[in-house]
Amino acid sequence: MIDTFHYFLMAWVDPHLLLLTALGTLGGIYIGAIPGLSVTMAVSILISFTFAWDINDALALMVGIYVGGVYGGSRTAILLNIPGAPSAVTTAFDGYPLAQRGEAGRAIGLSTVMSVIGGILGTVILAGTAPWLADMALEFAPRDYFLIAVLGLLLVSTLSGKSLARGIFSVALGAAIGLVGMDMVTAQPRLTMGNMQLLGGIHYVVVMIGLFGVAEAFYQLHNLNKVPVKQKVDKIIPPLKMVLKFLPLSMRSGIIGVVVGALPGTGGDIASLFAYDHAKRSVKNPKVPFGEGAYEGLVAPETANNAAVGGAYVPMLTLGMPGDAVTAVIIGALVIHGLNPGPMLMIETPHIFWFTVGNLVLANVFLLIFGLTGIKIFTRVVEVPKAILIPLILVLCVVGTYSINSNMTEVYWMLGFGLFGYWLKVFGFQMGPIILGVILGPLIDNTYRQAMSSVGDSGGQFLLDLVTNPLSLVLTSVIVLVLLGQTPAKAWFNGKLKRQA
Amino acid sequence: MFHSALKTLTIPMAVALATMSLSGQALAEYPERNITGTIQWGAGGATDNIARSLTPHVEEALDTSVILTNRPGGTGVIGMNYVMTQRPDGYNLLYGAENPQLYRLMGLADFGYDDMHTINIIGQGLVVIAAPADSPFDNLAELLEYAHQNPGELRMGGTGAGGLPSTVHAMINAVDELDVRTVTFGGDGPGMTAMLGDHIDFMPLSLAAVGEQIRSGKMKGLAVLTTEEIDALPGVPPITEALPDIDTFLPWGPFWGVFVREETPDDIKQRLEDAYETAVDSEQFQQFLANFGAEPLNLNGEDAQQYLDNWQSVTGWSMFEAGSVKVSPEELGIPRPGAAAE
Repeated sequence: MIDTFHYFLMAWVDPHLLLLTALGTLGGIYIGAIPGLSVTMAVSILISFTFAWDINDALALMVGIYVGGVYGGSRTAILLNIPGAPSAVTTAFDGYPLAQRGEAGRAIGLSTVMSVIGGILGTVILAGTAPWLADMALEFAPRDYFLIAVLGLLLVSTLSGKSLARGIFSVALGAAIGLVGMDMVTAQPRLTMGNMQLLGGIHYVVVMIGLFGVAEAFYQLHNLNKVPVKQKVDKIIPPLKMVLKFLPLSMRSGIIGVVVGALPGTGGDIASLFAYDHAKRSVKNPKVPFGEGAYEGLVAPETANNAAVGGAYVPMLTLGMPGDAVTAVIIGALVIHGLNPGPMLMIETPHIFWFTVGNLVLANVFLLIFGLTGIKIFTRVVEVPKAILIPLILVLCVVGTYSINSNMTEVYWMLGFGLFGYWLKVFGFQMGPIILGVILGPLIDNTYRQAMSSVGDSGGQFLLDLVTNPLSLVLTSVIVLVLLGQTPAKAWFNGKLKRQA
Repeated sequence: MFHSALKTLTIPMAVALATMSLSGQALAEYPERNITGTIQWGAGGATDNIARSLTPHVEEALDTSVILTNRPGGTGVIGMNYVMTQRPDGYNLLYGAENPQLYRLMGLADFGYDDMHTINIIGQGLVVIAAPADSPFDNLAELLEYAHQNPGELRMGGTGAGGLPSTVHAMINAVDELDVRTVTFGGDGPGMTAMLGDHIDFMPLSLAAVGEQIRSGKMKGLAVLTTEEIDALPGVPPITEALPDIDTFLPWGPFWGVFVREETPDDIKQRLEDAYETAVDSEQFQQFLANFGAEPLNLNGEDAQQYLDNWQSVTGWSMFEAGSVKVSPEELGIPRPGAAAE
């Protein structure tokens, strides 16, 4: 117990570690804010950089970058309508309209507080239930991942805006983009048109930067001469009353974030989509409709994606299995430093667990400090004349895309998607469903084939498992309910209930 | 056109003249700037771990920085293709795994390690056939017996055609019959996670990936792909106990190496070979390899070539005999195992 406390406070009392965590968090915010510069990339560069360091120093820096980076994606989403990372895609839906109303400062302030609440909630759940949560995550069979992905597809109605038909088209298009590359099972090229560069597929961040970054920049050329909205900078830190009002939603979104984050194979991007959808379904009468600047639409994804950080550490620290791409790289760092990430990590090196937990809390404290300072300067970004801002955005998009895999071909793809996305925008298509398709298409493809090969390609057995396995049954029921809820069946059912009453 | 031709002629000449006037030996200057190391697999994987732990020792030996970049995708085709299209001046290195030795056979690309120069074959991974801790089987013989009686029922974790599990499966099928349902995952990690949840029955894995799981008792080893028991996994029988005939394919395992373009000047190749040999030999890296569950090889020149040829022949022919590839290795000029050694 004393030991636990000691490990927990290690980074808090050592000025050196304190400084590294602070530096990491600050750096992370900016890395996360630039589309394409990802936490995964920053952490893998750090591995070489910190090779000769003490492992605790390296871990402190990595935790800081991770926490800061996941949050940082919201900055550009709110200010420029360009999510810095896939997990901030939904943040832009309501964050950007808020900035357009002159409330960028308030939006950043609120998302900072909610990110910290999410981050702390995720860490508390990690500390309290890690072994239990890890066991639960292992229960998810390929068929359950398939069901989650299908459930994710149903989010299309939430993300499509006015036209569901356009939304469904966009999801299908996204799924097709996601399937490009080498077939995982047979190792044969698929939809690559004989181009070797496409064997690795089209990275979904490339699609995201094109559709959100470049397309948005082009689109904003339409109102080049519009006078930028004057930003209100007096009400940045959200009042306690406001935080308390959104706390229940934030807690629910946080739990969605932790669970989705703890599942190896799904991370903050999917968590924030689910949380946004949850907010839209559960909040009946927001002051401002969703998509036009509802605070709820900012609260849910921002809590969820930071809570997912704690979740991703669950399988990593208890089993040595990565919860997402970043924890996979951190596992690599542990290996290189001579530790043995695996089920014995918590027994043989217990300090790693509590040190990480303490560090995550600390990083969230720094996030609160750094997130709430300097907002005034940041909101000025919205006031910068478009003629200066747009070329800058384009440069950042190119740099960000190149840095993903240092691949020039991906830059061309990104620009192509930018032009295509602009054209789609002009015709009233939403970008969200395309990203949904790109993320979920391959997940559905892989998990469906895994599930089918597990039962010897017997369709009957597959369907039977969907209703006989308790976990699968729960997921199947949710899908059926959501589906029915979107059809006239719901109205009919509600009407019947009323008549009975 | 003329202008660029002139440029390509004059620049090297000018550089050569400049360096010659500065020192008698023009190429003794190598390396005069940072070197780029391209890793053909993603961050956090085995190749990435090996590359990032070895490189600091190389930097020391070469007295320059080696900047590492991951260019994953297409079983490593993309990273390798990148290095092969860079200038052959010794400033672009490839950190690769075993996969390119199968590219031609699987029709993934029309190149392989034969088209590059081997700087060093760093080491080789040991392979374990692992099962969940509560599996009814204690060794491969028991599993095979069950599979013979119930063909097509057990679920084997795989990583796709050409991946390690598929190759091991092919080797077993070349000498015995193992009819299973192959469930394909995106890599070792997702496969092992599925095994921890009992969603698959067994999976051939590298010791580096699975060692900790076996040591902690979350999984058990049914066989190691060696002819004798190994120190790292006491009590796990060698595969030859269940399948004596598989002996012809052994020793076998995934490997990692460093490569440059064939056209690179000879003295630069030599300089790199020396640097990597020293680096791999360093005590700290050897310690890392042991902890990682890999056997050090540290091969270059003739030895490295022989190792690569033998690996390709063993793997290619066992996959062909098990029906996993349609193209005969013979058509590609890959001799049968044993023939290469003679």
